[in-house]
Amino acid sequence: MKTAPPAPLGQAVKRTVDMEIIGGWVEPHTRVLDLGCGSGVLLDYLAQTKKISAIGVDLDFAQITTCVGRGLSAYQGDMIAFMRAFPEKHFDRVICSRTVHELADPSSVILEALRVGRALTVGFVNHGFWKNRFNTLVQGRKIRNEIYTTAWFESRPENPVTIDDFEHFCAAKNIRIARRAHLSANWHTPCHLLPNLLAGYALYDLAR
Amino acid sequence: MTDEPEKSPPTAAHDLSADDVGLVVARDFVHRQPFTFKSGQVIPEFSLRYETYGKLNATRNNAILICHALSGDHHCAGWHTPNDRKPGWWNNLIGPGKAVDTRRFFVVCANVLGGCQGSTGPASSHPETGQPYALRFPFVTILDMVRAQKLLLDHLGVTELHGAIGGSMGGMQALLFAIEFPRFVHRILAMATTARESAQAIAFNEVGRQAIMQDLAWNRGDYPKEGGPKVGLAIARMMAHITYVSDASMDRKFGRRKKENAPSDAYNFDVQFEVESYLRHQGQTFINRFDANSYLYITRALDQFDLAQAYGSLENAFRPVTAESLVVGFTSDWLFPPEQNRQLALALLRSGKSASYAELSTDLGHDSFLLESEELYALVRQFLERGQPPTVDHSL
Repeated sequence: MKTAPPAPLGQAVKRTVDMEIIGGWVEPHTRVLDLGCGSGVLLDYLAQTKKISAIGVDLDFAQITTCVGRGLSAYQGDMIAFMRAFPEKHFDRVICSRTVHELADPSSVILEALRVGRALTVGFVNHGFWKNRFNTLVQGRKIRNEIYTTAWFESRPENPVTIDDFEHFCAAKNIRIARRAHLSANWHTPCHLLPNLLAGYALYDLAR
Repeated sequence: MTDEPEKSPPTAAHDLSADDVGLVVARDFVHRQPFTFKSGQVIPEFSLRYETYGKLNATRNNAILICHALSGDHHCAGWHTPNDRKPGWWNNLIGPGKAVDTRRFFVVCANVLGGCQGSTGPASSHPETGQPYALRFPFVTILDMVRAQKLLLDHLGVTELHGAIGGSMGGMQALLFAIEFPRFVHRILAMATTARESAQAIAFNEVGRQAIMQDLAWNRGDYPKEGGPKVGLAIARMMAHITYVSDASMDRKFGRRKKENAPSDAYNFDVQFEVESYLRHQGQTFINRFDANSYLYITRALDQFDLAQAYGSLENAFRPVTAESLVVGFTSDWLFPPEQNRQLALALLRSGKSASYAELSTDLGHDSFLLESEELYALVRQFLERGQPPTVDHSL
């Protein structure tokens, strides 16, 4: 993993940005599944602040080890196969935080998450943010910055999803958007004006 | 589990390093009361041979039970004499400062009921007749093994188990401990195990049993202590050994290498390939330490183990569990493959339990749980020590 170059907005801030908003959406004492949980920072935060029953899924053995050390339930394996092992609405909430853009089949994951979860929270970096558009226009190359840290040849396939794309997807699939939060370039203050152009980060709370 | 072929004998006493439990002594727990097996059959008393490492704390809640696999025993760490060829079978995992830290935990490991390494089994003599039980020994199940070990833990003054750990058949015991004694067990770590064997695993066990029972020296289980179906038992072991490793690991270890003195044009059936010689060695070592009837009984116990059938469903089986669980599968394990380990964790989670599943990439097959792997050690340590205050090391 390459270290991102220093930036005005630190990675630590960006990592914790959706924690507070998601934390606000999560009901206390509920069962929460985090798809692509990494080292379990978000689940650990939710377990401590909301006393949730936390389950994380990740592909990496070392990440699972860290989750286990935090006292979380963690499952190493494919997230779709994992969800298929559960009955409908087994989880109160499924979280997909900064994961959807890396999935091979985001549609299946989202639909399956809406089957096993009463609610699905999706958080993603808005690729439609004006700086990304401008960068592509001027550079004509894959964006490299503190968020997009890798060259095309060293990263997982990435779906450059935008807010408008996501809203279109939800409409097409009849997915109800219960809540949305668009954050401006600093990923902190709300962005109400032209979010697809001006928002850096987007969070959605979905249901079916 | 694997017997390593002889290495050069130690020239001097082992360096009993700082992270080693050192010299250990096996003890016998004698339960002088009748014990009723799941089958309803009764024996007047039984004993279990066991070892302990570390100290039971004042609140008696730091005990960890290690459960052994089919051919394992109570000697899971340390050395019996300074000249032992090798230490206990899980010495790499258990010791001061190791993943199962004996400075922190009181570790107990017992030879299972029905075994032949000092615990009561078919080779033991009936206390009233003085004759070996042989096939008169009750049919033993994993549940019977677990219940006998619970009596040992009671005897040792252990009021709750910090954890129960085991691989393969040991994993089955750990699972059953959490099911049958839910308030007693706080953590279970089950590796390379299953809720029930597949047809293939049963098939391999049956071939092993047939090798023993078709050996005329078996004599329907009645054979003298030093006699018995040695050929059959050795063949059973040779075959079983293949199921504990993998195509890749055997190929790496032996390939098609020939024995040094094997003529390349040997038109006979003497040992030619190193793998043949290795398997023969495995068989020979095994007959010196294992009882054929015990092998029949324990493989039968493995085959009979079926949590879903015994409790209606896996979810039902796990309903009473209060322990936190960690299940570990190994990619190259084709005897109890990752999928069967995954199913355990998924069923625990469906039952609303705290459960984790990790999968280690190895090419060593079923025996991978014995692997020397820093990744595995880190996982085990994190699981056992989570929510615990850090150890204070008083040594200088």
